[in-house]
Formats: sequence, structure tokens, C-alpha cells
Amino acid sequence: MRLTALSEGAEALGLKPGQGVAEARAMCPGLEVLEEDAAADRHFLEAVADWCDRYTPLVALDGTDGLFLDITGCAHLFGGEEALLKDILARLRRMGMDACGAVASSPGLASAVCRFGSGGIVTDADIAGVLAPLPVASLRLEEETVAALSKLGLKRVGDIMTAARAPLARRFGAFLLLRLDQALCLDEEPISPRRPVASLSAERRLAEPVVAEEDILALAGQIAVSLKPSMEARGVGGRAFELVLFRVDGAVFRICAGASRPLRDPQRIARLFSQRLQAVHDDLDTGYGFEILRLNVLHHEAFEGTQASFGGDRQSEASLAAFIDSVSARLGADCLQAFRFQESHVPERASATVFAADGLAAKLKASGPETPRSERPLRLFTVPERVEVLLAEIPEGPPQSFRWRRQQHRVSRSEGPERIAMEWWIDGLETPTRDYFRIEDEAGRRFWIYRQGLYDETPSPLWFVHGVFA
Amino acid sequence: MTTAPQFCEIGARTNFSFLEGAAKPEEMVVQAALLKLSGLGIADRNSVAGVVRAYALAKQIADNFKKREKTRISEKEEIFLDPIRVQPGARLVFSDGTPDVLAYPQNRQGWGRLCRLLSTGNLRAEKGSCTLRQADLMEWGDEMMLALAPDPALVDDAPEWVALEGYLQRFRARFRKNVHLALTPTYDGRDGRIFAALSTLAARNRIPLIATNQPLYHKADRRPLSDVVVAIREHIPIAEAGFRLAPNAERYLKDAREMARIFRVYSQAIENTGRFFDKLSFSLDALKHNYPPENDPGETPYETLDRLTRAGAAKRYPGGVRPDIQEKIEGELELIRKKQYESYFLTVHKIVHHARHDLGILCQGRGSAANSVICYCLEITEVDPAENKLVFERFISTSRDEPPDIDVDFEHDRREEVIQYIYKRYGIEHAGLTAGVITYRTRSAGREVAKAFGLSEDVQSAIGSLVWGWSEEKLSERDAKAAGLTLTDRVTQDVLTYAAALLGFPRHLTQHVGGFVITRDRLDEIVPIMKTAMPGRYMIEWDKDDLDNVKLLKVDVLALGMLTCLRKAFDLLRLHYDVKKTLADLGNKNHGPEGEPVYDMICRADTIGVFQIESRAQMSMLPRLKPREFYDLVIEVAIVRPGPIQGNMVHPYLKRREQRERNIQITYPSKELEDVLERTLGVPLFQEQAMQIAITAAGFKPAEADRLRRAMATFKRSGTIHTFEKKFVDGMVSRKYSREFAQQCFNQIEGFGEYGFPESHAASFALLVYASSWIKAYYPDVFCAALLNSQPMGFYAPAQLVRDAREHGVEVRPVDINLSDWDTVLEEAEFDRAAVHRRHGEMRGVIRTRYALRFGFRQVKGLSETILKDKLVARRGKGYSSVRDLWLRSGLERAEIERLADADAFRSIGLGRREALWAVRALDAKSAAEKLPLFDRDDRADLQNEPAVALPVMSDGEQVIEDYRYLSLSLKAHPVSFLRAEFSRLGVVPHVELADMPSGQMVTIAGLVLVRQRPGSAKGVIFMTLEDETGVANAIVWKKAFARYRAVVMGARLVKITGQLQSQSGVIHIIVHHIEDMTYALGLLEGEARWFGANDRADEALRPTGDGRQKKLEQEIERLIRSRAVAAVKSNASQTAGVMPRGRNFH
Repeated sequence: MRLTALSEGAEALGLKPGQGVAEARAMCPGLEVLEEDAAADRHFLEAVADWCDRYTPLVALDGTDGLFLDITGCAHLFGGEEALLKDILARLRRMGMDACGAVASSPGLASAVCRFGSGGIVTDADIAGVLAPLPVASLRLEEETVAALSKLGLKRVGDIMTAARAPLARRFGAFLLLRLDQALCLDEEPISPRRPVASLSAERRLAEPVVAEEDILALAGQIAVSLKPSMEARGVGGRAFELVLFRVDGAVFRICAGASRPLRDPQRIARLFSQRLQAVHDDLDTGYGFEILRLNVLHHEAFEGTQASFGGDRQSEASLAAFIDSVSARLGADCLQAFRFQESHVPERASATVFAADGLAAKLKASGPETPRSERPLRLFTVPERVEVLLAEIPEGPPQSFRWRRQQHRVSRSEGPERIAMEWWIDGLETPTRDYFRIEDEAGRRFWIYRQGLYDETPSPLWFVHGVFA
Repeated sequence: MTTAPQFCEIGARTNFSFLEGAAKPEEMVVQAALLKLSGLGIADRNSVAGVVRAYALAKQIADNFKKREKTRISEKEEIFLDPIRVQPGARLVFSDGTPDVLAYPQNRQGWGRLCRLLSTGNLRAEKGSCTLRQADLMEWGDEMMLALAPDPALVDDAPEWVALEGYLQRFRARFRKNVHLALTPTYDGRDGRIFAALSTLAARNRIPLIATNQPLYHKADRRPLSDVVVAIREHIPIAEAGFRLAPNAERYLKDAREMARIFRVYSQAIENTGRFFDKLSFSLDALKHNYPPENDPGETPYETLDRLTRAGAAKRYPGGVRPDIQEKIEGELELIRKKQYESYFLTVHKIVHHARHDLGILCQGRGSAANSVICYCLEITEVDPAENKLVFERFISTSRDEPPDIDVDFEHDRREEVIQYIYKRYGIEHAGLTAGVITYRTRSAGREVAKAFGLSEDVQSAIGSLVWGWSEEKLSERDAKAAGLTLTDRVTQDVLTYAAALLGFPRHLTQHVGGFVITRDRLDEIVPIMKTAMPGRYMIEWDKDDLDNVKLLKVDVLALGMLTCLRKAFDLLRLHYDVKKTLADLGNKNHGPEGEPVYDMICRADTIGVFQIESRAQMSMLPRLKPREFYDLVIEVAIVRPGPIQGNMVHPYLKRREQRERNIQITYPSKELEDVLERTLGVPLFQEQAMQIAITAAGFKPAEADRLRRAMATFKRSGTIHTFEKKFVDGMVSRKYSREFAQQCFNQIEGFGEYGFPESHAASFALLVYASSWIKAYYPDVFCAALLNSQPMGFYAPAQLVRDAREHGVEVRPVDINLSDWDTVLEEAEFDRAAVHRRHGEMRGVIRTRYALRFGFRQVKGLSETILKDKLVARRGKGYSSVRDLWLRSGLERAEIERLADADAFRSIGLGRREALWAVRALDAKSAAEKLPLFDRDDRADLQNEPAVALPVMSDGEQVIEDYRYLSLSLKAHPVSFLRAEFSRLGVVPHVELADMPSGQMVTIAGLVLVRQRPGSAKGVIFMTLEDETGVANAIVWKKAFARYRAVVMGARLVKITGQLQSQSGVIHIIVHHIEDMTYALGLLEGEARWFGANDRADEALRPTGDGRQKKLEQEIERLIRSRAVAAVKSNASQTAGVMPRGRNFH
């Protein structure tokens, strides 16, 4: 295991990324190590990318720790490139992120200047001057190429810019020169935005953030009004809508809602979200409120929908999975629960409630014994009930009779004991073992009775009834 | 009162059913004895690996019972135990659905069959598992008592139930009355029903029932550990293990009364256990060594041994065999004949003889075999025991019924050939490697148990990495705290408790480094054999202690790097200097005037690269011990060991030596001990002496002393040594020795437990010490070349070995495509006596070197021997004229040529590193035109005309860094030399000047960290070895300083140390007061000299054109770079540091 990232404190101690954890621990035994969670990192980066949607819909991920924003034609909305960059960086910093950024005419140049230079705005006249002193690694080359170049002493981009191109291409392939040209803005390089650009979109920027649900819905309705003319112009209606809520602190929520038929009517569109908002209510942390609301039409169809025929029964055989899916989509995943069998010898721990959707997935994966070998009562008491036993066979026989709920029962048949020791890692070593018996009384009623404690553990063990059989 | 029921447990599994059983075999045996069971059968899963331990303990209990002595059952407790009958068997677990079968051999034939059966399964499966089928049992199951142990769950499964009856019918038909059906209570609530069903089934098939609880542990309170073990086995945290865990704690060893109660309805099942055991007459006593007969035709083995010994003696003693030696030989022969060990000696002789004379491999016996004159005569050992007063009784004696153990060292890179020979000669049916039992240590136990408790990966590794190296100490609370665990937490406590309980549990078997068992009978009828990681190689299931216990002989075929080095050195000496030497020539005599300079050199601790005495501890002892003769080396080898150090024997010995030098009479505790201790000046240093003290001064019987010695060897594991402590000390006190002295002697014996050297072993090693010192003293060129060609070995890396050779005036030349071979070779050169460093000034007149070293390609990282030899060297002809020429003619891949360029190996054709690399990058195998016959002409000029490119010139610092990167050393300069100006400004003293400074002065030094060493005996003190361009320096970091500077001590590659200089007998240490990480300074080496304007030519290179625009651009670049220079240096530092030696850690 190796270190991948360090806190400032750890850096100050002289630890390095790439160092073995064992070695690092030899240096600082108190080192706190968290396992890298690439998925969470990516999730975080995507959240930042979502947030950047406020500047341009064209946001692309750059590796595991960078973002490309195509601000062509957007910059003026924010007061020019410089103001835009400042705005982004300032806001990110306020959110506790250490970010740097650069604006340049090509992604390659921006990335090089941002990651290896001092960032900022690169004007087209400066390109060569800015790029030349940067290390060749700034050209986004393969590690092998960077190593080979630096072995030859070609350590800076300037070294390559000034060298003859043909010998370089012969030795390092065309990719090196492509990357160089891309960085020098001599070659085009498109970025690939991570989200499809919505076919239709409208937004509202607010001076005062909104918090209340009804305000959000009302605003959604207003935005929908502004979408209507464009839909009418195209002769379409929306099937899938997305309401994007930009929270003041940078969090971005996306709520999707589908319509069974193409929709245009602003009120109906807003109503779609009212149900969804209720369902996600707990998850939607409004915090200090939302400052931008945007409504996207993700999918649209021609407005004239076809009507379903009476004969069609495609929906009628909805499976349990489909049922769970649809209810969960409507009401949220936490609205449906199911019992799941849990492997534990201790009877009261042998089941647990889980979300229905998870339960279903788990069931498909489950393997190994599903139930204990011995029979369990149909009804298990949540709390075992004390019974009085006057006479029982020693050391491990069933009672001859017992008194439960003020009624005396004489035992006519029994089977057991089934010896269940408690789970020592939960209950500790002192919790007494139980001996369970299946018992039938003279009236034919069947009980599940246990003695708490073995005779050599406890001098006078207690008896309980834990359940009844049918 | 009724008589107590008789019950024999036949289903016990131990922790040799890896990750199933949760008790040691010994614990099972003790518990069975405590419960007074009528018998205990050990039946591990498809294995008999644990039965010898159970057998040995049962035997000891029986012995103690006869002598009315107590048996030690734990570290603290000893009690009287009744003898317990233990039978070896195995639980056969099949892969084809056959129910488990408990199998016990009835007699020796049955044992042989069981071994064959298990071997069959072992060899069929992957390493470490055993695949058995029903047919195997049908084939090999005769002469065994068998009990089917079906899974009780079968009752619910109709088809399986029918199948079970089928098995019963088949087994009944095949094995008649030997088959039983086992009944086992499971306490799942349905035992009654299951018993009834099985009993009906058995009755229907006329198969007797037999009761067993199939215990997995000896006491019920082992259930938690058993659960932990299951969780480890299933790779799942306990909390999620569910039904994989047992529902209750019933699988413990139950006594007869309890079993009789459970089976009160089936009392015959209990009675049958006794009948089952009555049919078993096999005991492991029946296994005895039977070595393959090695006698020559027409002779008995004894006659052959006798003849070979006498012939060897005549050769070893050319001047005639002295009568006392003759007497010794007769005595040894007589003893060997009595013990019938002739064939064993002949076998070892055969192997050694073949290795030495047919394969030309240098070898030498070590260990106690060096006590035997016969071994010396048979050329098994090289040290003359008569010369060195070694006692044969240490090797074999009448009073001990224990097989001798001959260990032979071979050249480390050629041992494989010896092993191949053994297999070829004896076949896999008769020769196998001993097993080694890998047990849970603190690190692995902590890690696995933490995992079983579901702790996260980083906590697991935190617990694991808390311990330096191997250790069997318990995970302490301090460790837990350091891993960030709170002690009040239940989980933490559980982890600590069960990790401690798991310590010493076997994890798996692995092959012993080289212990061979060779037998006349089929080996796989004595003990099951199994696969090893290497195809075609097999090992047995028992380790060396097990072999001792069943009295099987083994030969240790070991590997020793120094032998490789010596053989290569002898070859070079013969080839270049026409000097013919052998090991025996260099030992076994008074070294006389030829030895003087050698001992002088040793006394100066000029011993880098020399066998054994090259470590820091050894080197600081040498100037104080001042060895002047061979026996001093024997002592030197033995004294710097944890045993004598922990026993506090070193300083008394040094004091006595000083006394002797000043002619002060040395007093001995008594006359009787004078004989024992005279040669070590009254201080016991060797294992033998400890034993002799036990006999003469503590009144031990020889057999007791021998048990003491065995307890020493295994004391960590068995903890039995404390039994002897009181007896030993009291024994000595009653003979009027001081209690303090007695306790001291005993402490030393305890220390031997881990690292004891018998005298004979030290003598064998001392011979290698002298031989390597001799070569180093007279032929440092040969010595260095042989060491380089034998890497990896020894304490020092090539950089230090080369440096040492250069300090002794040896010229070392760089690796080159036209001049180098795979190995480092010698090239004619004038020896420049002036080049010898003044520190080694007195060697100027001694050294006989006439050659320079030429580095071989093996020095370059990442090149393959066969490719370099077969292609580059074989096709070199008159030499390669260009990179292209090399590429076209040698057929090397581009990556390989690039590696050669990286190593700067093109100097002979005038290409520097970068020029060569530039040329290499242009080679393109894919371009078809390159290899067309039309162009494949002699001139081989590059086809493509391309503009000349001027590459930036490499600074000297960069050159050195690249040398380190690809060769691990540099002949051009030492990295620190580039920093010297800076260091001088900081007041850093070059290491070479330390020798002239007074002790006690505060100094500041700096250098690369070569070695960090934390010896177990030094109580947390760290020794650091630093290197600068003038030499090495040693620093001592006390515990307190270490706590403060831990990160720097452990992590830095270049450090600056301020501390107090301590000088004693020429040994210099710096006691660290302050230590600073200077690793960042390494970045300065690569820091582009050209940007600082230091290198004019480099600036030129940057301006290929005079174009004005270009110039402006460059100025701009320069301006920016200057502002960035600091950052660049920093980023270079981490890269450069990665190239520098990491600093090796020794424990």
C-alpha cells in the first residue's frame, strides 16, 4: 500500500506521495491513514463539475483532479475571462478547495499552465513564452516519453519547441508533436462534455436564495412558462424534465421527473416536480437556499402522442421488481421495506428489515444456508417470556411441566436440546448459553422453550418461552 | 459405585488441520491425560503433520510418570499426569462427495498405506491441498481401522441418505469388520433423531457404531478462538460469518462420563472406542532411519566407511596420522558402527564428493559435524577437529539416543545442482525435503485477527506494521495504542486477546531451506510427501523437530553466498596469478608470517566484504579483541552474537584478554571449570561449554544436559527451559559457586535459545573468515571481483565494495559495450601503490594486485544474463562501431540497448550517455527499410539524413545521478562531493577527518544513509551508517533521540547529524544529538547548471540558431526559470532521492 495524497501536516513531516505506508509508518507511527476512495473522489469532482454548470454547459473531466470548461461565448456573461476565472476560483476557495485555474485558447495550454505554471490568463501573444519554461510533463505525455526526453536533457517544453521536428518525431512518435501543437494552439482539440447538453433549457438566477418548497415549485412553473414558446415552435412536448437546483454553498441537486405523455403545460410540468419534491424531501437539504434554478428538457417527443389500446396488456404482468421500482421512483427508495433473513444462530437476530430494493438485490446474490437446520416457531416473541419450571431433567433435559401466563402446561412430548451459545463478540463471554426444546403439551399446543444457562454455568437457570408453533 | 466408563476419542483435530482445529496437539494430549481418557486419536484433515508432536509429548508424559516427575503443561504450570495413549491417524476428507473417514493404521504396513494414500492425494492437488477420492481409499485402505463420520444433515436429504447407505455397503464389503459408523452429538436439537436413524442404518448393514465428539479444541473456552479461526479461513468478519460458525461450544474434548451420558442409549458406541483402539498396534516408534546402503560391492557399509576414512586420513595428514588422531578415528568408527550410522555418513560423503569433484562446487560442513575427525577425513568438513580441540561427543554420543545432524553449505547459486543430483541419484520415492512449519507471528496474527473482527485495512496494517521484523512477542497494549486503538474498546481487547492466542498456531507447511531426508524404504511409506512451489520437487509433512522425535536422519543442503565468492576468487587467482588455493590450505595450520598482514588487517577492522566480521557490531569488536590467531577468529565469530551479548559475556571476556596481555593471572571459579573454560579465558561462549558447565558444575547427568540443550533450541516454542533454571542454579550454588555466576551462566544458556553457536560451527565459519580475509589482504582486485560476481550476498552493497577496493588502490573501470563481459573481469593494469588510501597505508607493501576491474554487465540493472552473453558478447567480433552496428549485429532489442546507453556503456566509441540515447531512440525495428538486404552493408550508415541536434550537456551531478539510477553506484564521483562546498559552509566535517578528532567533541557530519540497524539486543537503539565521498561514519541514535527524530531517521536518504564523537580503540561513533533531513539537497545535483550560468557549453547548446526572435524567447524563458529555480530544485530532490540508496534496514 502506498500513500496517494497527503494533508499539509503530513507533507510538513516529509512524507511523499508514492511512499509505502509501512515506510511512512516507520517514520511517523501515529500516522492516520485513510484508504483512498477513488469513487468518492470522482463523485466529488463530478459534484464540482455540476456546480460549474452555472458557467457553461460544456464541462469535461480532466483526469482525476481537473475540469475543462469550454467558455467560448460565455465569458462576457461574467464580465470577461479574467472576471470569470476570478469568480470561479474565489468561490471554490470559499468552499474550502485549493484550486488553480488558467484560461487559454486550447485545453492543452490551459492544462499545462494551470498544472505546471502559475495559472491565469494566457493571451495568444504569450503562448510560446509561457509554455517554454514548463517541464515537458506539462504536455500530457506518456510517462515513458517524459522519462526518455528528460534523460536526453530535453526537460522543458522550450527544449522541444526549439529542436528540429523530424528527429523528434522519429524518436518519440507523432503524438509528442501533436501534443506540442495542441499546447501551442496550432492544432484543434475538442473536449468531451460529461453531460449531454439539454435540448431545451431555461434558468432563473435569484438575488435572494429560496428555501421553501412551494417557492421552488412556483419558480419551476415560471421557468416552464418561458420554455413553452420554444417547445411550441418545435412542435414538441417534454417527456423527461430535470430541475437543477444550485445551492448557495455550491451543492447541486438534480431532480428528474418523467411524464407519461409529452407535456408543455407549465402547471402540469411544475406538478410533476411537486410529487418528486415530496418524495425526496428528506434528501433535499435546502441549507441556506438555492440561488439558481434551471429547468432542462432532457427528452422530448412530438406533441401528438398515440393512445394506448384496450387490448394492450404489456403492463399487466409487472413483476415484483417493477413494482418496487415504480413505487420507489415515486415515493423514494426508503418507503418500502422488506424482511431479510440474516445468518445468526441467535433466533432474535435471524431477521432484519431492509429497503425493499436492496433486499431484492441481496436475495439474488445470497448463497449458503438460508435457514438454520432445526425448525423455528411460526411466531417468535420479541421478548422471551419467563415461565416457571418446577421439574426438569438434569443436566440437559426438558421440563416436565411449566407455568406460562398463569396457566400450567404438562409436557407430553419434547425434542432437544438445541444448544445455542450467544454471540460472544456482541454479548461477551459471560452471557449464558441457551438450550431450546420443542415442546408439545397435553392439549397439543407446541412451544419453543429454552433454559438460560447450562447447569454447570448457573446453579438455578431460568426458563423462557420464546415462541409458539402453529 | 459403577466403574468409570472407558472411552477413547478418535476424532480429535488439532491446529494442524489448518484453520479448523483450535488447539495445539500438545494441548489435546495434556487435556486427554487430565481427563484420563483411555486413548486419544489425532486425526487431522488429510494430514499427519501434527501427530509427531502429540506422540512426543505422550512419550514424555509416560517417561515422567515412570520417574514420578511432573510434566510442564504451560509456562507456569507443571503437574503430575497419567500416561495417555495417543494414536496417529488422519481424517480423510474426500473431494468426490464421499463422507469423511477417520483412518487409523493398525500396524507399520497400515501406516505405510496411509502415507501412500495421503501422498497420492497431495500430489494430485495444488500445492498445499489434498484431493482424495473414494477409489484411493479402496486401493490403500487395508490394515487400517476406519470410521465413517457423515454430516448429520444427511438425515434431511433423502438422496444423500441413500448414497450414505451405498458407501456403508461398499466399505463393509471391502474392509469387513474394520469399518465403523461414527455418531457425534451436534446439539442442534435433533441428536436423538439422528442417532436413531444412523443406528438403524448401521444395524441394517452390520456396521458397528462408534462414538466421538470430533473435538476441534481441548476445552470449551476455546470456542471464541475457534470462531476467529473460521472467520480467517472463510475470509469474512466474524459478525458476518453467520452459520459458518458453530452454534455452540460443544466441540471440546469430553470425558468418558459425559460421553457415556450422551450415548447412554447407545452404550455399545462407547465400548467400541476401546475395541477400535485395541486393534491399533502401530506406534511411531516403529519408524527408524534406514539409509540407503552406500557400501561398495563386496563390502559392508562399515567396511566401506572404514576404508574411505583411512584413505582420507592419509590424504589429510600427509605427514602420517598422529597416534592421538588415529585413536580418535577408531573411537568414532566404533561409535558409528554401534549406532549403525555408517550409511548416513556414506550418503553425505557421496553427495559432498560429487559436488566437490564432479560438479566443482565449493562446499563445507558446518555445525556439530565439524567435531568429527571422520567428517574431516571424508572431506565433509574442512576444519581439523584435532587442531581445534573439538569434541566428538557433541556430535554423536552413546548417552544420547538422538540422530546426528550433518549440515553442509554449498555455493549459493549452485546448490540447485546438488539438489538435482540428490533427486537423480535417489529418486523422489526416497528423497524429500523437510517441511518448515510457518506459524502465526505477532504481525500476521495481529493482522488476521483484526481482519476477522472487521477492522479496516489500515488498522490491520497498522497493527501489522507496529512490529519491527519477526517477533513472537505478544501484541502489547502499547502497540494497540500506537495503531490508534482504544484499549477500553471491547473489540480492541478481543483483538489483542485472540491475536495472542493465535500466536504459534501453524498456518501452512513450507519447504525447509535444504533439509533432505533420504531413505532406503520408500519415503512416502514413512511419511506423506507433498508438492512444493517448485515443480518436480517434493517435501514431507514433518519438520526437523518431528524428524528428531521419530529418529529420522536428515542432511541439510544449505546455500552460502561466501562459498560462491570464494570459489570465484580461487578461480580468478588460478587464472590470473597462477595461485592455487583451497579452503583447507588456508586453514588448519599456523598461519605464520603469511598470516601476519591478514591479522593486522583484521585488527584494523578493514573487513568490508569479509565473511561474518563485516557487520558494524563485528567491526567495532575487532580492534578490541585484536585477533592474532585462528582460534581468536573462532571466538570473534561466536562472541558477537545475541546469545553472549544477552548473557553479558562480552565485556568480561574482553577484560580477561586485556589481563592476559598484561600477564595478570586469570582466576577460574574452580579447577573443574578451568578445564571447560580455559580456552575462552573463563567466560563461557559456546553451547558446548554451557552443557559442560551443566554437567560438571550444576551436577546434570549428560542426558539431562542434552535435554537442556534441546530446550535451548526450542525454548521459545515450548517454554520448557525454565524447568531447568532452578535445578541449574541450585545445583551450582550447592557446589559452592556464587549465585550470581550461576545465574549468569544460565542467562547465557537462555540467550542461546535463539542464537547459539556451537564451537565447531564457529570454527567452520572462522575458516571462511580467514580465507576471505586472506584474499582481501593480498588480492583486493580478485576479492572485489568475486564479491561483485556473487551478488546478492553479504552486508554491503556493490557501491561500498567498489569504494573499498578503490581505497585499496584497485582501479575500477566502467562497463562498456566493447570491453565488458557479463561478470566483472580483471584487466591488466599497473598497481599504483600511491593510490592506496592513507587509512590503509600499511597495506601498500602487502597488496599483490596486478589487475584492474572491468565492470560486467551484471552491474547494470535490468539486463538478462543469457541475452547479453549469447548475443552482445558472442557477436561482438572486433567490436561494435556504432549504436546502429550494435543493434544490427547483436540482435538486441531496442530497450536493452537503451539500458546500455543509460548505463553509459558507449564511451569506447566516443558516445556519451545522451548521444547514445539519442541514437538508440532513432532505431526503429518496425521500419521495413532498415533491414532490407540492399542496405544491410558493411558501412551500415544511418539511412535517414537528419539535422544534427545538439543536446544539452549533462552536468557532472546529473551523470552521477544517472550512474546511481542504473548501476547503483558511480565511478565518477560521490553524490555528496557536489554538496561539499555547501556543507563546508554549514560546518560539516568530512568523515575522513573524524579519526583525527578528540573523543567527546561535538561534530557535524552529513552523508547518504546506507544502513539502519536495530539489533534486538540493543534495546531500541538504532545504528546508522552514513557515507560521504571520504568514507563512512557510524552514528548511534539513542531511544530518546529516536523518538524525537523518528521520521528523519527512518525516512531520510541524506542527513546531517550533529552529535558527540566517541572514540574507543579506534572505533568511532557519533552520538546523535540533532539530526536533520537533507534529502532535498540532492535536488541540487540535478539542478540544471546551465540555468545558473555555470556551464557555458550548455548555453551554447540551447542556441542552435541566431534568430533574434528565438533569442528573445530564450531570454524570457531564462527569466521565468530563474524565478522557478527553487521550486525546480525541490521537485528534482524527490526524484533524485528516489535513485539514491534507500538505506537498508537490519534487525
